[in-house]
Amino acid sequence: MTAAGMLEGRVALVTGGSRGLGRAVVRTLAREGAAVAFNYLKGEAEAEATLAELRGAGSQAWAFQASVLDRAALAAMVSAVEREAGTIDILVNNAGIGQVVPLALMEEEDWDRMMDTHVKGAFLATQAVLRGMVKVKRGRILNVSSLAGVKMMAAPVHYATAKAALKGFTEALAKEIGRYGITVNCIAPGVLEEGVSDHLPRERRDDYLRHCALRRMGTVAEVAEVAAFLVSDRNSFMNGATVVLDGGV
Amino acid sequence: MECTTCGPPGERPDRPHTFFSHEKTTCRQCGAEVLGRVVLRDGAVFRLSFCKDHGQSEEPVAPDADAWVKAFLARGRVPEGAAAGTAPHVFKQTTSTCPKCLALVDADVVIRDGRVYFHKTCAACGPSQALVSEDAAHYVGAYAFARAGTEPHAFQAEVKEGCPTDCGTCSDHEQHTCLPIIEVTDHCNLECPICIVNNQYSRHLHREALGLMLDRLIAAEGKCESVALSGGEPTSHPQILDLIDEASRPEIGRVVIITNGIRLGKDRAFAEALKARGAYVALQLDGFTADAHEKIRGRDLCKEKAAALAILKELEIPTQLIFVATRGANEAQLGQAVELLLSEDHIISLNFQPAAYTGLGGGSYAHDPLDRLTIPGVIRAVAEQSNGKLRGADFYPLPCSHPLCTSLTYLLRLDDGSFVPFARFVDFTRYTTLLRSSATLASSAEIHEAMEDVIHDVFANQDEIPRGPEILRALRRSIDVMFPPRPLDVKEAVRLGERQAKSIFIHHYMDKDDFDLERLRKCCHHYPQVDGRIMPACGFNMFHRGAAQGADTPLPSWGKKPWNADPHAGTPYLLEGGSLPPEDGKTRLRILG
Repeated sequence: MTAAGMLEGRVALVTGGSRGLGRAVVRTLAREGAAVAFNYLKGEAEAEATLAELRGAGSQAWAFQASVLDRAALAAMVSAVEREAGTIDILVNNAGIGQVVPLALMEEEDWDRMMDTHVKGAFLATQAVLRGMVKVKRGRILNVSSLAGVKMMAAPVHYATAKAALKGFTEALAKEIGRYGITVNCIAPGVLEEGVSDHLPRERRDDYLRHCALRRMGTVAEVAEVAAFLVSDRNSFMNGATVVLDGGV
Repeated sequence: MECTTCGPPGERPDRPHTFFSHEKTTCRQCGAEVLGRVVLRDGAVFRLSFCKDHGQSEEPVAPDADAWVKAFLARGRVPEGAAAGTAPHVFKQTTSTCPKCLALVDADVVIRDGRVYFHKTCAACGPSQALVSEDAAHYVGAYAFARAGTEPHAFQAEVKEGCPTDCGTCSDHEQHTCLPIIEVTDHCNLECPICIVNNQYSRHLHREALGLMLDRLIAAEGKCESVALSGGEPTSHPQILDLIDEASRPEIGRVVIITNGIRLGKDRAFAEALKARGAYVALQLDGFTADAHEKIRGRDLCKEKAAALAILKELEIPTQLIFVATRGANEAQLGQAVELLLSEDHIISLNFQPAAYTGLGGGSYAHDPLDRLTIPGVIRAVAEQSNGKLRGADFYPLPCSHPLCTSLTYLLRLDDGSFVPFARFVDFTRYTTLLRSSATLASSAEIHEAMEDVIHDVFANQDEIPRGPEILRALRRSIDVMFPPRPLDVKEAVRLGERQAKSIFIHHYMDKDDFDLERLRKCCHHYPQVDGRIMPACGFNMFHRGAAQGADTPLPSWGKKPWNADPHAGTPYLLEGGSLPPEDGKTRLRILG
């Protein structure tokens, strides 16, 4: 089997897939043979471009403008994908936001938005695809956390909290649904060249580079490669794990 | 399979094998004919046998248990076209009793016209036949539910002569005590034509004796979900409330009084005392017409039953109904009993017992052993009489006893107060944990795990399951109630599930016609005795009680009558005077207390 066919015949849903890490994951999964759907909230033009790119490369792909906090929209999206391509085998809970604000100035709304987008969004998207996975007793769920969720580092408290929550979400869910042949894992990237790290102040990036053994930031493509492996059948015995990709911090 | 009745998994060990069936074999050393247990272990099939001269032995039967079971079940499948009027098909052999002399005899298990019969020949009394199941497919299919039993912490008897002589229970018995039934008196205020016991109006159990019996029971079992106090009529015992107090121990989840309800309906203070003690009532309710009561209870009890039901409802005493389903007496009233179960919150379960013709009354009750109600007949009648609320497919054999002894269904209460049988949304062939010898679902870790599986299944298939979203909501409510985030004691663990689901059991006790030693091997309803024995119910009724054929039934030489031994000299096992003066026919009906 060649690397290009790693996800042949699989159907994937990536939340927040129009840009940054999400888009890289979408591209990589499609390249590996999966039919890929993704949602986006604001980046309509980027979503259209991504979709065109995928379809142009011969992939089955769909894009939906929907919030991960809209249960009905998620249900409709899953239903539409399953009608077109069959049961969703792969879910990548990637949707997220970044915001740099000290706790002293953090508004309750800031906190809620951060927690909702990362944690509640993952919960709702997972619940939406889980019915099908349980039915076919097969599935791969990958939650995108962050180094900030697994290690003490300079990061906004609400962001680190939300990302840490995803690690707990991963472990409990892995335990709960492993009996159905569904694995749940987590990936925790360090600082990347694009994505939420766009919000990081320069001094924090520099601080990261000082502590990183590779002396560089990662790329979304590097993370996406690992993500594609993690949701593939080649990765059949990892469950409840958090894989850290940080260049060695 | 760990029985979940009396405690969380791991408290008692599983049997090392799954007892499957019974057959005769020969001792490999002396060639004597002995009884064998066919068991499944480690994916293979073995025959265990006991010779009283040469002890235990084991021999392999087949290397592949799955294939062997499949072939076993296939032997019971008679082509549909041959259902009527074809030659009898011998499915297997077992050991039964001669209905005339009660000797153990070989029996061919014969399928004929879609039914199952025992064909027996007694050397002394000649041939006999008995109907054992009205549905061959049910009978044969039940074997697929065989599961390993659980061992008690201690056995009460040694294996010396073999089953059923050594009762009980000995280490060859295949199941622990799920339901201990303690007969606290042999006095009664009824003379039932269908009476299954042998009331002699001679003894009331002393509280201290009950205490010792419970001590031994707890030593053997650790914990008990339920202990039933029976009789006779237990409310005839002059100190019944003291006995309930004695049984109300932390290791015991429920104390259940099995009663005809006469005293309850007349004696409000007594009913309130039961309520105050947290006791449960198993109310004998075999019908709703004078005719039905007269035929099997000896007189019209409509008013008495109505009065008992009224006070149970008013005081919200958790109630189980026991309905002895008898051909020609009450089989058209099963649906009414189901309606009653579903309409009253305090009624948590309904237990249909197809009549067993044994005991002082039942042993001589006129009946046709070839035309009687069996479990499939009760299921069919319930389905026909429940206005579509129940179907035959809603019932499954109970794996923890012998699967031919009991079938059951659980009914989930939806938020609108209606009920849905679990079988409509649970594949019981996969989730046998949920099939348990208990009136309700207990808050055990094993049940929690099984319910989580069920929830995921319903969640995934809710569009295909009728009322799927409502069922999910009810399951959510049930787990919220049943599994709070704190430790539960035994009593709370059994109580929390009572309002979430109801149960209907169909339990067929055996008699001289349909007795099957194979079923007795895995009996889990036991009668603890004052001398420490814990007697499997049907073995006790058939061989040790002395009433399998009615009054004056001769006991076999090895028969052990109830309460006939006192290993603790000086212990006041019975009330003062050892026995009370016999009461005449009139005083028998007196309500004590």
